[in-house]
Amino acid sequence: MTESAQQAQTEEIDLTAANAVIDKYQDMHGALMPVLQEIQEAYGYIPEETVHLTAERLNVYASQIYGVLTFYAQFHLEPRGKYIIRVCMGTACHVKGAGRIGDTIKERLGVGHAETTEDLLFTAEYVACIGACGMAPVIMVNDATYGSISVQKTDEVIQKYQELG
Amino acid sequence: MVNLTIDGKQVTVSKTATIYEAACEAGVHIPVLCYAKKLMPYGACRVCLVEVEQMKGRLIPACTTPVTEGMVVTSTSDEIVKVRKTVLEFLLVNHVVDCPVCDKGGECDLQDLTYEYEVVSNRFEGEKFDLPTDEVNPLIERNMNRCVLCGKCARVCDEIVGYGSYSFINRGFETKIATAFDRGLNCEFCGQCVSMCPVGAILPRPFKFKARPWQLKEIDSVCGYCGNGCTVTLGTKDNKVETIRFNDKTGVNDGNLCVRGRFGYSFINSEDRLTKPLIRENGSLVETSWDKALARVADGLKQSGSETGIVTGARLTNEELFLLRNVAKALGSENIDHSGGECYKGLTEGLQQTLGLQASTATFPQVENCDAILSIRSDFYETHPVFGMVVNQAVRRNDAKLTVIADKRGKFTKLPEAKTLLHKPGLEVNLINAMCRVLLDEGLAKTERLSGVDELKAALADYAPETVAETTGVSVDAIRTAARELAAAENAAILLAYGLPYTAASKELGIAAANLSLLTGIAGRTGSGLYVCGEKNNSQGAIDLAVMPGATGLGAQQMLSAAAQGQLKALYVVGEDMVSSYPDRKAVELALDKVPFLVVQDLFLSPTAQMADVVLPAASFAEKDGTFTNAERRIQRVRAAVPSPGDARTDFNILSDVLSAFGAQAPATAAEAFAQLTADTAAYQGISLDMLGAQGYVWGTDILTPITRNLVAVAGSKPLDAAHQLLVGSALYHSGTMSTHAKGPMAVVSEPYIEFGREDAKALNVAEGDLVKLSADGEIIEAKAKVDNRLPQGVLFAPYHFSALGLNKIYRGQPAIAVQVGK
Repeated sequence: MTESAQQAQTEEIDLTAANAVIDKYQDMHGALMPVLQEIQEAYGYIPEETVHLTAERLNVYASQIYGVLTFYAQFHLEPRGKYIIRVCMGTACHVKGAGRIGDTIKERLGVGHAETTEDLLFTAEYVACIGACGMAPVIMVNDATYGSISVQKTDEVIQKYQELG
Repeated sequence: MVNLTIDGKQVTVSKTATIYEAACEAGVHIPVLCYAKKLMPYGACRVCLVEVEQMKGRLIPACTTPVTEGMVVTSTSDEIVKVRKTVLEFLLVNHVVDCPVCDKGGECDLQDLTYEYEVVSNRFEGEKFDLPTDEVNPLIERNMNRCVLCGKCARVCDEIVGYGSYSFINRGFETKIATAFDRGLNCEFCGQCVSMCPVGAILPRPFKFKARPWQLKEIDSVCGYCGNGCTVTLGTKDNKVETIRFNDKTGVNDGNLCVRGRFGYSFINSEDRLTKPLIRENGSLVETSWDKALARVADGLKQSGSETGIVTGARLTNEELFLLRNVAKALGSENIDHSGGECYKGLTEGLQQTLGLQASTATFPQVENCDAILSIRSDFYETHPVFGMVVNQAVRRNDAKLTVIADKRGKFTKLPEAKTLLHKPGLEVNLINAMCRVLLDEGLAKTERLSGVDELKAALADYAPETVAETTGVSVDAIRTAARELAAAENAAILLAYGLPYTAASKELGIAAANLSLLTGIAGRTGSGLYVCGEKNNSQGAIDLAVMPGATGLGAQQMLSAAAQGQLKALYVVGEDMVSSYPDRKAVELALDKVPFLVVQDLFLSPTAQMADVVLPAASFAEKDGTFTNAERRIQRVRAAVPSPGDARTDFNILSDVLSAFGAQAPATAAEAFAQLTADTAAYQGISLDMLGAQGYVWGTDILTPITRNLVAVAGSKPLDAAHQLLVGSALYHSGTMSTHAKGPMAVVSEPYIEFGREDAKALNVAEGDLVKLSADGEIIEAKAKVDNRLPQGVLFAPYHFSALGLNKIYRGQPAIAVQVGK
């Protein structure tokens, strides 16, 4: 398959936001990281087309950008949910049953670690300690923290965000 | 210079050398996996660790550590051996060790080191890699289960080729070499990564399971495609060319090749090759014997005598061209020409009138150290890819300022900081004139010793940058900057390629480029050069040997018109497919149809050969001895590696026989012919075969001093007024029509195409792969569309290599063709 055919297969993405980001950094040497970070901020992830656009406009090989994107855990190449549920799997939470919390999310939403629901509402992430061992087991939904959580409370949290939509 | 001791041996090396390079000089063997002479030091594999007395307490990587005065290095000790062995154990933890079925077996660095360090067991355990192999493309197979992560493939693709296919992806144990988005390889397929890979991770697919490395016989020869004259080392087994071997010791290309050189050899083995002479009987071509065919040729040519036309491509050896010229002499004809007779006029008339020369003034390797480079047309990379890689190195490693005068974008325009003067088609001369004008106006021109300054100044009145900017669509600043940079550079180069698809204004372009080279002082200055490079492997040889019409003779185009009017009695076409590649196919066909006697000597039954009365099967470059002269005047040896298929004979043998038939004396061997031709050719005088060493021999020395320094006024053109204009040119993967018989290039670009820019494609509702029709002058051509981002709005492109497209039905030598696009 040719390069352009491969590109044609990916969904059409509005590149205005990515272009605006690159405009800002166009003349800065070594600006790849902030460009990628801000593109991710704008789109929620790094769409493939923005990689090709960045490659062309910053004169960096697409392969190199892909190397950077796969090296750092902070970058995501797939669309992510509106709500990122981070399930702490640190030692304290593990002892207090974090595994069951993860299972519950999997059961209710059908997503395990680093997976996203089809409606793009939730992404689950199993993370190491988030530094709230005092209230283990703990989960975070975006910036909100839910401590001393149980299976039932997990259900309630999920339901709350589902209703928020 | 720095003095140091390695294993007790005193060695003096340059202060920029590394310990490893010093050790090589001292004859001390240090093992390496990630080191390559032509790449920047990297230090990835850690098998070159050594001890340095002044840096006690740790082991030092020899390949990245610069030498210092008085350094005392130990290359082998128990400690070092232990560490190297451990490194190898690490590498072998995940490696699949499938040596029995690996094509690299027998010449694998990992295999050799494992053997040398006797790594018979492994203290570490881990999962074996189980990664899918990349077999998407037909030329390069990638098996990452064998990779040792030396990074050479990624580095060569960046540093030398400038394409950037590969990168390390993921991290830690998961690290691997991959393309963007970890897909199948889709690139230029030059195979530099294949030649660099120390293990069996990247291999040439056409060679898979063909031979063990030690079964191959290696013959150094010269590539039969473009004027770059790369050394190709043919790997043969059982009288068949099976692969091209890596060789960075011989020739001018430092082991670099392009897709044609590395994978285009397969036309040699093509089943379509002509194996028997053919003769026309009752309207159709039938097989015959050499005796009969040659008798017919001798009869026919005797009748036509001085009214014979001889046309050749520029693919024959110098010796064969010499014989061909003798054939013309024997016939009493001055009608002899090559390559369409127009495209080379930039050299033979352009440079001749200005510099008094008919060749490039300097050699390729010098370009790597240039501060400024001007490439006229971005196509230079397409016609001369390996020279293009030298330009890439100059830009990337030495920060050379590259300016490209181009009607479309290309590889060059994408190089870091490259400035592209993207102009409307056909206006190269206007831009160069404007640059000359800037130099003269701003007092930057080095006019001492030049004649014609005032005349040029007067003629350039109409070429003020502002005026030219308006005509060409290039900004005034860009023109000024380009001129200033070229004038300011200590070492600078001007590049211009010529060939059959670039016949328009070839003479004018040669003159304009030469004017610029005179005003900037580039012509003849040490370290600088004007490069006018022929498209074919022996384009320069054909000019040096004056395979051109004599004073009263007809050129190729005139021969065709004469034939069409019934004024030419015979045409002898050697190694040229005029019907497919010459401008104006109809005129060519009419001429060949009208000419009473047509002899075609070729490898294939080309459309031209199909019209012949006699077809003589000839030999490819891999089947003959002789010499080619490349575009920088380097005369290099071509060596026979395999016998010709069937009854095919070398052009040398055929021409000898033709000469004998006329009672003329023919030299018995290519060596004898070389002696005769050097005596007969002013520039070659005194050159003997013994002088053609591993790097060949550059006639006229590295820097050719202009004989005259005449500025010649030359007029530019007017832009074509048409909504859609088609450019004709060369595609990177092909060369002439010969590569369309080679599996390698055909695997990548197998059919003709018409290229559209994205904006045009969108506006015209054309998608990749759609069948599109272009009409011009009542003729229609049809091909699949290719959509890319190279072309400015309103400009289309089509490569000229494919006979089936019939591009030359609408291409008659114009710089751009006004076309109507339809579906």
